[in-house]
Amino acid sequence: MFETAVKRPLLSYKFALEIRQQMAWYWQAIILAVSLLVGLFISGAILVAAGVPAGELLNEFVLYTLLDAQSLQSVIFQASPLILVGLAGCLAFRARFWNLGLEGQMIFGAIGATAITIWEVGTPSMRLPLMIVAALVCGLLWAVLPVLLRLKLGVNEIVSTLMLNYVAINFLLHLMYGAWKDPKDAFPYSPKFEVFELLPDVFGGVSLSIPLALVIALVVFWFISLSRAGLYLRFVDQSPRVAQALGVPTARIIFLTVLFSGALAGLAGLMVAAGQEGRLTHSFYVGYGFSGILIAFLARNNPIAATCAALLIATLFVAGRSLQVFYQIPFAMVQLIQAVLVICVASSDFFIRHRIRRIQGGD
Amino acid sequence: MTLISSWLGNTPEFAVPFALAALGLIVIEKSGVLALGAEGLMLVGAVIGIGAYLTVGNTPLALLAAMFAASVVSLLFALMVLVMRINQVISGLVLVFFCQGLSTLVGSQFGWVNKPVPGLSEFAVWGLSDLPIIGRIFIQNAVVYLTPLIFLLCVWALYRTTAGLRLRAVGENPQAADAAGIPVLGYRLAAILMGGALIGLAGAFISVLSTKLWIANMTGGRGWIAVALVIFARWSPWRALAGAILFGCIEALIPQLAASGIKLSQYFVFMAPYLITLAVMVWVALSKRDSNSQPGALGSPFIREERI
Repeated sequence: MFETAVKRPLLSYKFALEIRQQMAWYWQAIILAVSLLVGLFISGAILVAAGVPAGELLNEFVLYTLLDAQSLQSVIFQASPLILVGLAGCLAFRARFWNLGLEGQMIFGAIGATAITIWEVGTPSMRLPLMIVAALVCGLLWAVLPVLLRLKLGVNEIVSTLMLNYVAINFLLHLMYGAWKDPKDAFPYSPKFEVFELLPDVFGGVSLSIPLALVIALVVFWFISLSRAGLYLRFVDQSPRVAQALGVPTARIIFLTVLFSGALAGLAGLMVAAGQEGRLTHSFYVGYGFSGILIAFLARNNPIAATCAALLIATLFVAGRSLQVFYQIPFAMVQLIQAVLVICVASSDFFIRHRIRRIQGGD
Repeated sequence: MTLISSWLGNTPEFAVPFALAALGLIVIEKSGVLALGAEGLMLVGAVIGIGAYLTVGNTPLALLAAMFAASVVSLLFALMVLVMRINQVISGLVLVFFCQGLSTLVGSQFGWVNKPVPGLSEFAVWGLSDLPIIGRIFIQNAVVYLTPLIFLLCVWALYRTTAGLRLRAVGENPQAADAAGIPVLGYRLAAILMGGALIGLAGAFISVLSTKLWIANMTGGRGWIAVALVIFARWSPWRALAGAILFGCIEALIPQLAASGIKLSQYFVFMAPYLITLAVMVWVALSKRDSNSQPGALGSPFIREERI
């Protein structure tokens, strides 16, 4: 009787960790939302520590970025290449292939598209379609080597795709400081694209890139969820060995999916070059490869969720640029915040999968 | 002749960061934790090393501060993989992104960019430094001479002490180690912290002792090359040291090529280390000797509640 009434110090309790079998979906959603909020709070604290006034922070993100029509437009605009790299990440990770070469594939996609403009291939009306094809093909080709090495020789794709990123970056610098430099000034930029080489506005100031990204998101959704290859892919994702034993053409499916992933990353490169910057620049790729990986992870490789996650990251990009201008906060901060968000969301999985129970100590 | 002499003389300076980072990775991976975060921890070591020097003005202290800072950041990695049981590949990648953002933010906020530091003075080994051609190898700073000693110490600790045996047991078969009463998570935590400190030192070596200034993302993929080096060395510290010297030779060759007047776009030269890393990975895959040397439990989390 008395025992229960006495307040016991915390240390005399024991905590037991148990694996939870099932959790109601609304609890999962609540935990996910809380973890995102915790992540945003930590990010806010980092920014305040870096010298952004706390009051301004809310203004910066909510008022200027999300409630301002023009900023909102630039968020949507910014989202399209992020959606594509996110989808590229989803596809590759579904095939259990850690494609960390998204940046390299993006660079080669953009280089391919720019080559079409510089060599003036095709008539003006054919130029943009040709650029899109070139971006898809070049991104795809840059993914061929790592996936072949992995399938034929078992070479770890994490290292190989990363190494190829650095090769691609140096090749881009070679072009930007050399043959493709704009003769007009000393900056490492290609000459400006012609008007017919830019992604056109389709309606009300919205560039073609966002409808294109959404259509591709639907195509990827179809590929993953409804097509035969997608069904096989789910087998491969669950258990490559069982898939192999069941007669699924594992290698061919992985190969195809990774090439698809590379092509999408290449298209994302085109969207930055021909959609945002209007030319190829020496550092246009910065931050996209990582964002693609993190978007795919946040979305658990679901193409529809990836589209939403890309919008969130796009908000971060746009807000990050204005922080860079107004408070001299480096753009790398965007990467830091993304990492914090991913850590928080990934940690929330722990609470979904486990139950911490307090058991009374003593003998 | 002077070209070869100065090339050989510069090699240790380029090899040491690879060697220390690879050793740190081996210490962590021997405990069964897949560590991909080297690139990030090196960046943390690089920025804190410079920052500490600019603050206190003492190079050894700056190196220690860098090691400590990298250990503190590895604590976050330990939290992710040991406590939260997040996928180790994702944890390692996120750690790199986190550190890239953090180091750039910290470095530029405190204004540490492009501030030169003096580094450590180099001293010659008596007798050896007078040898023709290779003599230049024996004029180095203290950390270069310390690196083989650190390797000896780590190899001794890993292979000749009870703690080392337990650490490797945890990496080979955590369930069995747990049944034998070895605190699996404790050993993994210790390995992550010690490995993190070594990788931090590797980063600080690049900024404080080699380049002698800090710029954002200055490690430029060396952490990833160290990850490849560990695979190449098949988790053996001595083979990792040999590999690091090989890569040091290649990196030291790059400025020499420019000096010797060979006409080649510098960006193609900069690609060389990455292409060679790729080639080495292919070569390792083609020669499938001794493929069982990977720690048995590498990459799989230890979850006691799921034990049968």
